[in-house]
Amino acid sequence: MQPDPVTSPASSGAIEHRRMRRGVVDLPAVRALVVRGLNELLRVPGAAIPGIVSPAIFLLGLTLVFGKATQIPGYGTQSFLAFVLPVALLQSAGFTGGATGVNLGRDIEQGWLDRLLLSPAGRGTILTGLVLSAALRVLIPLPALLIIAFAVGAPIPSFIGFVLTIVFVTAFAAVAATWSSVLALKFRSQQASPLMQSTILSSILFSASYAPLSLLQPWMKAIAEHNPVTLILEGMRQCYVGSITWEVTWHAFAALGGTGLVFVLLALRGFGRYER
Amino acid sequence: MALDCLGVPPHAIVTTGLEKRYPRGGTYAVRGVDLAVEEGEVYGFLGPNGAGKSTTVRLLVTLLRPTAGTAFVAGHDVVKDPAAVRASIGVALQDAAIDPLMTGRELLRLQSVLHGLGRREVGPRSDLLLDRVGLAEAGDKRVGEYSGGMRRRLDLAMALIHEPSVLFLDEPTTGLDPSSRLLLWNEVRRLRDQGTTVFLTTQYLEEADQLADRVGIISGGSIVAEDTPEALKAEVGRPHVHVSLADPADLARALEVAASVGRPTPGVTLECLDVSVEDGARELPALVRVLDDAGIAVAGMSVVRPTLDDVFLQKTGEHLADTDEVPA
Amino acid sequence: MIAPSLALGLRAIRLTLRRPQFLIPLFLMPSIFLAVNTGGLAATTRLPGFPPTTNFLSFQLPAAMVQSLMLSGLQAGIAVALEIESGFFDRLITAPVPRLAIVAGRLIAAAALGAIQVAFFVVGGLLFGAQIAGGILGVLLVIVLGSLAATAFAAIGMAIAFRARQASVVQGMFPFVFAVLYLSSAFFPRKLLSSPADSISALNPLSYIADGLRTPIAFGLHGAPIVEGFAVTFGVIAVASLLAVAGLRWRLADAA
Repeated sequence: MQPDPVTSPASSGAIEHRRMRRGVVDLPAVRALVVRGLNELLRVPGAAIPGIVSPAIFLLGLTLVFGKATQIPGYGTQSFLAFVLPVALLQSAGFTGGATGVNLGRDIEQGWLDRLLLSPAGRGTILTGLVLSAALRVLIPLPALLIIAFAVGAPIPSFIGFVLTIVFVTAFAAVAATWSSVLALKFRSQQASPLMQSTILSSILFSASYAPLSLLQPWMKAIAEHNPVTLILEGMRQCYVGSITWEVTWHAFAALGGTGLVFVLLALRGFGRYER
Repeated sequence: MALDCLGVPPHAIVTTGLEKRYPRGGTYAVRGVDLAVEEGEVYGFLGPNGAGKSTTVRLLVTLLRPTAGTAFVAGHDVVKDPAAVRASIGVALQDAAIDPLMTGRELLRLQSVLHGLGRREVGPRSDLLLDRVGLAEAGDKRVGEYSGGMRRRLDLAMALIHEPSVLFLDEPTTGLDPSSRLLLWNEVRRLRDQGTTVFLTTQYLEEADQLADRVGIISGGSIVAEDTPEALKAEVGRPHVHVSLADPADLARALEVAASVGRPTPGVTLECLDVSVEDGARELPALVRVLDDAGIAVAGMSVVRPTLDDVFLQKTGEHLADTDEVPA
Repeated sequence: MIAPSLALGLRAIRLTLRRPQFLIPLFLMPSIFLAVNTGGLAATTRLPGFPPTTNFLSFQLPAAMVQSLMLSGLQAGIAVALEIESGFFDRLITAPVPRLAIVAGRLIAAAALGAIQVAFFVVGGLLFGAQIAGGILGVLLVIVLGSLAATAFAAIGMAIAFRARQASVVQGMFPFVFAVLYLSSAFFPRKLLSSPADSISALNPLSYIADGLRTPIAFGLHGAPIVEGFAVTFGVIAVASLLAVAGLRWRLADAA
């Protein structure tokens, strides 16, 4: 605070403001928030590693251990690696999305969320920024995991298969990010991190993750059939096992859209409650 | 301002019966606070930890919703139109949450985008503010490398990025070294000169004394006193001159001669007396003269004025927690 | 030597029980994987070459046990590293406590906690339909072997902690736990693992510990795998304890 050579106008109104319409997502603000979210990934060396290492160990380990399971009729492929690759990709997306909630918990503890809430940018804008950065962040572990999988013999999908993989993985990361944000707003602490990661991981595992629905134990089948992640997983899996159909794709999108919508509403309610 | 239509004079902050009661246990954090802060005023909000100071600020800046009462900030209702309130205020909260991985300049740019500044304004405005808080050179360093004082200054710059008409500073100098504190004080004075309303919470009485046009004291969730610092102190009592004698045997005579200058009373020890006076400095030479004329040797003499702590003690029955930690 | 070891052991147990955030994952994570593996892969018992068992849950129980015990060993390491970081360890070594008691105390705690962990999975398994082919004696064998295995894993965790000295480094070994698990017969019969896991698992001590736990549960009191299990566990305890004590000495020399 040096002696001021600049005479700045006293009251507001002298600076040119953009029009920020209420209740509408403000795109420049979203972009700024996404840049901040990505900053963290680019500036902390190794921040992307957990999103690669755990799913990679999981993928390779499961294939080594249970690889012969595909000898049982019903898998539709001889490659267990191809069968569980989508599970590993979702795991990575879920982990990255879950990190959003972990970071939000930290931001709440440190008061950064208060700072965001003090700006006229709406809650929708803040949530969009959070979720979008998670969706973009997952694009770092995704190619690494695919390269590892292809290197050990996973089938390379068609162009459409690639596109769908990217869309599903980023969308799942966004949904997971929204869910973990709901929990972060509820518990307002990083202490909820294990809850975020374990609920996301469980949602992936208690689906048709290790075997097709027809081969699951009855109780597991009942859970998997009601778990929307099964539909998402099958949408991903058709890119690596069998062929891509409109019906399976449509179901996966519906599952993503439905869960995403529910979590967005819960998150917005969470923002509302945060101020009480 | 919206309140003008209602015939109320222009106030930057007006609250009536503001209340925050927590559902669990039904305890009141803030209980019936009435405030009227005029435009362009620096309002010092004093209270110990847990008195309801920070809760009041959080209610006023829309981070919490009141359970009863009304609050208007910059003419907007904090409950009905929080977005308009947010657009008019700047806030530097107690725990300056600043992302350590970002640079000062990046944070200011982010803040200006979030506050809806026009694209052409973002860069120059960030540079201007960095310069103004003395961080022009450190602007491209990551905030993780900043000192505590630099963080507070950056925090202030972020609060000012959109030229708010009302600025909330929640304990802006707690834990700062004296020179950083002085820099911040000067900035607050300059903002006032420019017409910005400043709502300042502090635990430091000296800070309120130095900066505030008016002071409100909150205790147990309610305001127990409110006036200019001078008026509050005058209410508590007059200044007095504390005299230490070289020889305790002179005390009786000293009490006698000092009566021509003020109202003398024996001090707490045998060689001391306190002389209650009107002003303090004005009566000092006269007092020296009468004692000297009477041949009484004086070991020491000092003017003691009532402080805001005395006010605080009288109004709340307790001392402010951290007063002795105030660096000179 | 015995009294301070017991005292330190009791302290370690008490601290573990007071930190539910560390305790819960030891039971929850392996339970989740147990449920998912059992619910998802029960059909694999139909694979040619799968040892004759009708109960896949019984077969998978030891996998959950060793997983839980290994995580517990890692946490023992994290606890030691945290004590080094916080300076408690320095206070401990300046106290008139035999140095070996520092290691022995933790191992006693690990053995006690290990018995509880194994018993938890036995009871949980029985509740969800597992059968213990070896009967009561089988259960006792499993608890004793599990307790010894817990000691072995805690010794490994401590050896790592004395070298690493930072809790975050020990924490970073987490994926390694799973790598060792996947390269053993903990989850699936060794013969049915895919190459190269089938041959690596033959060299992995964890395979023998897991099979030693599995035989009394899933197949009955057949001598050879149980004896092998105990023998390998004792071997790991011996080697890992030596490493832990060597690590402690190295740490002491470093601190001096």
